[in-house]
Amino acid sequence: MKYGLFLGCNVPAVRPDVERAIRLSMPRLGAEMLDLEGSACCPAFGSFPSADEIASLAVSAWNFSIAEELGVPMVTECGSCYSSLRMALEKLRENGGLREKVQGLLREKAGREFRGTASVRHIIDVLHNDMGTDRIRASIDRPVTGMSAVVQYPCHTLFPSEVVGFEESSGRPRMLRGLVEALGIEVRPYSRELQCCGGAGGFVKGSFAGASEFAFRKLRAIKAETDADLIVVSCITCLEHLDRMQAELAKKDPSFVPLPVFDYNQLLAVCMGFDPAEVASISTIPREAVVERIRGAGR
Amino acid sequence: MIDLSKVNAGLWREIVENCGDIRHCFTCSTCVAGCPAAEGSPPLFVRDLVRKILLGLEESLLDDETPWLCVTCSTCEEMCPMGVKPFEVCLAVRRWQARNDESFIPASVAEIFETGHTQPVDRVREKRRAVGLEEVPPTIAKFPEMLEKFRAVLRETDLVKNNDYMFRE
Repeated sequence: MKYGLFLGCNVPAVRPDVERAIRLSMPRLGAEMLDLEGSACCPAFGSFPSADEIASLAVSAWNFSIAEELGVPMVTECGSCYSSLRMALEKLRENGGLREKVQGLLREKAGREFRGTASVRHIIDVLHNDMGTDRIRASIDRPVTGMSAVVQYPCHTLFPSEVVGFEESSGRPRMLRGLVEALGIEVRPYSRELQCCGGAGGFVKGSFAGASEFAFRKLRAIKAETDADLIVVSCITCLEHLDRMQAELAKKDPSFVPLPVFDYNQLLAVCMGFDPAEVASISTIPREAVVERIRGAGR
Repeated sequence: MIDLSKVNAGLWREIVENCGDIRHCFTCSTCVAGCPAAEGSPPLFVRDLVRKILLGLEESLLDDETPWLCVTCSTCEEMCPMGVKPFEVCLAVRRWQARNDESFIPASVAEIFETGHTQPVDRVREKRRAVGLEEVPPTIAKFPEMLEKFRAVLRETDLVKNNDYMFRE
């Protein structure tokens, strides 16, 4: 199966080890990840969508036109990219006036065609529903044993469910749990599992204290209610934010022992035997100890 | 006390053109109950934004920075029982503010115009090489001729036309 890997901005610039993990692990499962050459920012909700609707949709349509030319579904790990692209596609399909205006701009000024045939998938959806947990189980040397995790569902893949959803119930998502369990890692439920990380949009920048407290409540609940060894996410913002906020909390409260945070494809790539120096090398909270435990199980 | 003789009664038409019908809002506060940014200081209460729009409280809305706290999680959009699309309202208020006061225009739009990205994807070469990736990702950062066309599209939009001093080549 062929897909177009939509990189966005944060993954290739801030956490390129996640990009590397995706590029190595997906082909091992049978997914060919093509480059969407010339793709730009999704655009991020805080940029053009907050300033000019036509400009915003023109940027989205620019990205769609690249995937449409290749005839492949776009796949992204970043929750914000996923949601921004899905919502823009919905708007462009629903609103003929906006669509024609954007189509005209792209055609006249860039010689590009936006047809509306693009599709946008989140990588959890592709991993769970196209690749499947059986294939994932078969792709690793040996399952991990004796480890537990908590999972962070990306809010942008849940709401609004009629536009972005792929879970049976956005109020009770289960796919990321299934993907982590396929590696042999047990997943612990906890009270704030469905609370979003709070790292996207303008919350952190506009109200750092409020945003920190919001994240701390979630992090404290993980520690109080579970024996998790790690946090598994599948969104660049969740990855960066939960990493950073744990460091902040540990500064304020020395009794708080932070947990390493992994993007799912990083965890998968480590379980597949790829070099951790390439697929899981950039973080604030050290991940080496957990990586070594996983590799110990696989060797 | 709100003096309704001094409000802009048509304000909602300026703001919510492509959103759900906000006139259905009855201030039930479901949009606030599930909102992370409702815990900010000052808090984001989307229901208050809707009230200000419907009552035409133009000045108050133009001073209101809370829409920029939105996390973009869209929980409000999922939960709103009246189909008001509160998240779209947040974005629409931001756009209206940006149209009426250029200081609201986010710096990221100029970054995207200049480079195609909000992050310096072409200036982290060593970091990318260290993890086995090509130094510049195969995005618009690698194709200057595409970036030129991308800018040509954006140059035709009201945002860039009306604020051209912000957008560097």
